[in-house]
Parts: sequence; structure tokens; C-alpha cells
Amino acid sequence: MRIILTLLRKDFSHVLRDKAALSLTFIVPLVLIYVFGQIFGANRTDSGPTGIPLAVVNASGNPAAAQLVDALKAEKSFRVLTKYVNSDQTERPLTEADLRPMMRGNDFRFALVIPADLVRETEFGLHLKILSNPRNEVETQLINGLLQKTIFSNVPQLLGQSLQAQARRYIGASRLEKFNRSMAENVARNFGGDPERIFSDIQKGQWNLGSSVGSAGGGTTDFFSRVVRIEQEQVIGKEVKSPMATRSVGGWAMQFLLFALTASAASLFYEKQQGLFQRLLSSPVTRAHILWSKFLYGVCLGLVQLVVLFVAGRFMFGIEVEHHLGLLVLVCGFAAAACTSFGMLLAAISPSPEAARGLGTMLILTMSAIGGAWFPISIMPELMQHLSKLTLVYWSMEGFQQVLWANATLGELCPTLGILAAMTAATMALALWCFNRGKLFD
Amino acid sequence: MTMTSGEAIALALGSNRSLHWRNPTVTTVLMLTLDHLTKRYGTLTALDDISLTIKPGEFFGLLGPNGAGKSTLMSLVAGLRAPEAGRITLNGKPLSVAEASSRAGLGLVPQSVALYPELSADQNLRIFGELYGLHGTLLKTRIDEALVAVQLADRRHDQVKTFSGGMQRRLNLVAALLHRPKLLLCDEPTVGIDPQSRNAIFDFLEARAREGLTVIYSTHYMEEATRLCSRIAIIDHGRILALGTLDELLAQLPFEEEIRFPAREETLALAAQLPAWGEFITADGVHRFRPRADCKLSEFFALTESLGLPPRLFTSQRPTLEALFLHLTGRNLRE
Repeated sequence: MRIILTLLRKDFSHVLRDKAALSLTFIVPLVLIYVFGQIFGANRTDSGPTGIPLAVVNASGNPAAAQLVDALKAEKSFRVLTKYVNSDQTERPLTEADLRPMMRGNDFRFALVIPADLVRETEFGLHLKILSNPRNEVETQLINGLLQKTIFSNVPQLLGQSLQAQARRYIGASRLEKFNRSMAENVARNFGGDPERIFSDIQKGQWNLGSSVGSAGGGTTDFFSRVVRIEQEQVIGKEVKSPMATRSVGGWAMQFLLFALTASAASLFYEKQQGLFQRLLSSPVTRAHILWSKFLYGVCLGLVQLVVLFVAGRFMFGIEVEHHLGLLVLVCGFAAAACTSFGMLLAAISPSPEAARGLGTMLILTMSAIGGAWFPISIMPELMQHLSKLTLVYWSMEGFQQVLWANATLGELCPTLGILAAMTAATMALALWCFNRGKLFD
Repeated sequence: MTMTSGEAIALALGSNRSLHWRNPTVTTVLMLTLDHLTKRYGTLTALDDISLTIKPGEFFGLLGPNGAGKSTLMSLVAGLRAPEAGRITLNGKPLSVAEASSRAGLGLVPQSVALYPELSADQNLRIFGELYGLHGTLLKTRIDEALVAVQLADRRHDQVKTFSGGMQRRLNLVAALLHRPKLLLCDEPTVGIDPQSRNAIFDFLEARAREGLTVIYSTHYMEEATRLCSRIAIIDHGRILALGTLDELLAQLPFEEEIRFPAREETLALAAQLPAWGEFITADGVHRFRPRADCKLSEFFALTESLGLPPRLFTSQRPTLEALFLHLTGRNLRE
């Protein structure tokens, strides 16, 4: 037993001296738990996503349609966009023609069109149109559900108007008015209230059924889904043959890339321990030569790794890479450069390879989570959604999605590539500064 | 400090054929000058006002215990670090950390085996050669010569990690010589290897030195410094304690040579005469004779010959650098 206790003490002594092991054991899980908590809004009293951009085009003059728009605006899950900002910064209401180009530009991924003939005299029911760019399956299901809930909560009044319009068409306005007045008087007599006001509400189609929808259960929802005809249009990604894999592959690839390139940058420590920097730096080689060659090596390695992963995805999951190969390689190159610069910065700020590994694991998992590699950022709180745009994972995935999902052109891709290039330049500049101040080359 | 322009160019270009430093007019040229160098790491002063001049063709030894400042001095000369004070000139030009080209005439053999273990010997040498601008046939020739010189030609395509410690050390050495540097810095190049490999390295370095290579060799083995170095600096706590040739250094010691021979009947006559020449002790059946400083050993050995005593009876122990270090610092060299 004493031998076991001695060996046990040895292990504890060892781990207490190993800061990297300690951080991997305690700090990394704690940080990740906190990050995930923030992502899922664990500290919020309410629940559900917030601030998902939703474009709404209201072509109907019907006051109830305006109420539907107001209801969508009041829904915290959505950030409703109804205006189009011209180049001179003036605004005008969005039109359906604006939606598709804006969706291609990823200004938003979901749009609701309330047509001018929302309530048609020729048929009972309502007509709405949802345009979507279902880049993420979970996000798409979620938003469709939220949209239906909001629409169905506000639909009874519109249904009443639809019914009134139908009745007016079949029995004529004067007979319908007589029928409505008779109904209003009966309601007032049996349940109380002002018959004139009740008559006015019936004429407007206001039956106050909305409050019952929430508790009416599936039956009511089924009923509404039959009478509310929602036309769905997938604006982007219709032609993608393997949507699930195409949507996911970028996230997977980025994580592998980050781990591989961080390990590659950490090899600087082993070269130092090996004494190779002494030999190199005593020759006509400068620190800059060493760092830039390491950067270029990382970019090449990352580029090849990404291309291999996508080609493997082609054969295993049918992801169509062959039609986009040029642009895909371009995005891979920029993503690899950004990941390499991240690895270099990690090596520059870490005192040892063990510390780089611990810190790298924490940052990579956090960036992957925030950046949308694991789940859609639209389900995160708004702050996290903003933070995600500071991660290279987000912009790399954006590039992959643009190429593979949205079939983007080089021109459309340029802003994303520009952001990745800017991130690379800023991170490398910081890494070089840290390397020059650090002890790696001492 | 005179040097013709042709000679200066020859030194700068690093052509062995053009090494004219044996010419008396050029031996006055200072190849490497360290002028009041000071280097600190935080509060620790690693080098404290070191001044040295190393002439072309010298095999200069830096002898001192671990932590004495030898590696720091090497790193300053190699341009890996900048001193806090003082300056280094190589062939009359200031050596700059920032200016990589100023290091083209240097070769460094680091204390660790600074090779890529996953790569073959050939690949390692190719990389280091190319960094110095060698390529094509010239590089191939240099690699071939280097591998033959350190007896690794038959292992040239094997990964370095499969080599023994001695083989790795030999490769580590020749990797610094591919570009034919004028000045070779060897920072304890034989640490942890077997005597056979150590001797192979010594032989190799001595041969290069005979060809005119200037070597600065740091070690904490006095045997290495004694065997290899034409001039030695004994260094401790960042300061040079003594500097000179082996004889000059040992001359700083009180004479401590001790001659031992067995206490037998045949040596009685000799023993009777020796107390007049120096200190004479007999213990455990052995006579120990420590001659005075004015005693000529040639006379001692003439006497033994006249008495018909064979030389095999006598052993002598010369004073060592170890003894000098002990004398200077009160500590053993390997403490």
C-alpha cells in the first residue's frame, strides 16, 4: 500500500508542476462550459434564440398584415428588416425583388412576403410566401417553426376577414351585413356586450380567436396549416445534391485544420529545444526567415489538408467540389493562412509547447463553438452572434458555404476573402511582435 | 593591423585557397576581437567585461565549469545575441545580430545535436549547405567530402535519429563546415559521447586546424583543452581568470611535478641524493620526489641513467589545468 501511495504522490506532484496538464484538466472545461452556457443563454431568464435577421415585405394594404409585421417585430427571436437602404443612405420599403440578391449577399437567410392578395375573394384562406437560404438544417427548422407560431397567433383575424370576403361574394354585402347584425345581437343578448361594437368587430373579421390558439393544441395548428397557405421558396442551394454534408463539411474541416496547424506552429518549440535555431541563426538566416518559412509551410499544409478533406467528402458524401474547385482552393488557401497565423500567435504567446497545446485546445474549441462549426450561430444570444464574426472559423465557413452552397462568384467571395486576409495580416503582425519580444529565439 | 585589399577579399569570400594568414604581414590582422563585452540575463551577469583577441589560425579554448559563461560568449560571437556593452569585430568589421551576411564566414557547432532527426544525414547537410548559398555540384561534392571525413558515407540516406550519439555528434560537426567557414565555433561538441567518437572529432578538428581553420572551442574537459588548444582562456562567473598557452598557464602554478619510483634496493642510491634537489617523501613503498623550480629534470634523468635505473621505474605527474583552476578559484573545474 505504501508503494501505491508513493506512486500516487508522485503523480500528484507531477501534475501540480505541469501547468499545461492543469489547464487542460480544469481551466479548459470550465471555460468551455461557460462559453457553451453563453451560447445557449444559460444565464437568461427567457429562452430561445434572439435577433435572427428576418426580412419582411408587406405588399398588402390590409391593416391585419401590418399587425402581423408588428407581431413579428415584437417577437424577440427575430430582427425584422423592412427597409432597403439605398446607396445614398436613403431608405425605402423592401420589395420582393430586393430579397433574392440580398439573400445571396447573406444580408439575411429568411424572408417573409405578405402579398397584396393576402386575403383573396376567390378562395378561403391566406397566402404567404417564405424565402429561405437553408444553409443550416437546425436553423431552418427552428426559424420555420417560429415563423409559423407567430403567423398562426395572428391569423384568426385575417381568417375572419377572408371568411367575410367569401360570404360577401356569395350572398352579397347587404345580406351579409344583415346576417352579421343578427349574430351580433344574439351574442350581446346571450353573453353581454355592446351589439354595435360586436357587429363592427364581426364586419372586420375580428373574432378574437387568437388568444385560444396557443392552448388549442395540435388540432388548431393543423387547421391553420390547412387554411394558411405558405409558399416556400429555397432561394439558394436548391441544386446542391448533398445538402447535409455540404453544409457541415466546412465546420469539420476547420477544426481539423486548426488542430493540425497549431501543432505545426508549436514545432517551433521543438526546433528550439533541438538547438536548431542556434545553428540557423548563426548562418545567414534571420528570425523573419524562420517565421515566414513556418508560415508558408503551414499555409501549404493547410491547403493540402483542406483540399484532401473536400475531395474525400466528394467520394464519401457526394459533396460537389469539382464544379467549384478553383474558388474552393482559393478559400482553402485563405482559411489555411488565417489558421496558420493563429497557430503562430499561439506559439508566440505560449511559454512552452505544453502551454501552447492547452491554450490551443481551449481556443480552438471555443472558436469552433462560437464560430458556428458545431451549431448555428442564429440560436445563440445576439452578443455571441456578434462575437462569432470575430472568429476565423466563422469567416472560413462563410467562404466554404458561399462556394459550395451558394455557388458564389469570385466577386461575391471577395469580401469574405478580404476579411480572412485582414485577420491573417493582423494576427501575423501580432505574432511577429510577440516573437521578437519573447524568448523563443534566445 | 595591415591587410591588403586582396587578402581582405579572400578572407571575406572564404576560399581556402586564398588563406594567406600564414603570411607574416597578415598574421598581425586581428580576426576576431572582443572588446569589453558584457552580457546580462536579468540580474545575472553572464559575461563581465570580457576582452579577447583571437588571431587567424588559432585553436582557441574556452575552459570553464558549467555556467561559467562559455556558451553565452559563443552565442555573442555567433551573432545569436547582442551584448549589453562592448563590441565584437570579425575581420575588422563589427559583428551585428541584425546583419545575417556578417555571419557568413562563421560556422557554429551547437552544444546540442542541432539536426533534423527525421531527415537523413544527406538531407540535413543539403539543407544547411543551401542556407549558405551552396548548390548543385559544389554542394554535392562538399556533402560527399564531409560524410567521408566523419565516416558516415555509408549511412548518408539513413535518418539521423537512427544514428548513435557519436555519429550524430560527428554529423553535427561537419554540418557547420560545409560552407568552409573561416571561424568555427565549437560549443562543447563532445558532450556525452564515447571516447572513440571523441577522438574521431579531435582528429577531424586538428586536421582542419592544420589547414588554417580558426577554431574557438569551449569545454569543461581540461583534457580536451590541453590536447587541442594552442591558447586557452580559463573562464568562470563571466570573467576570464587566465589566458595564454598551456605552458604560460601552467607557469602560473607553483611547480608541482611529482616523480614516483619504487622504494627498492636498486633505487637507494638515487633516493639518497634527491633531498638536496627538492622535496623527497617515502610512503607505502613508494618514493615521491617533487623537484624545486630551479631543478633541471634533464640532470635528474642523467643521474638515473648513470645509476643504471630503467625508465620504466619512473612515473611523473605534470601539473594540470585542473590544478590551475583549483588554484585560481578554490574550486574544482567540474564542481
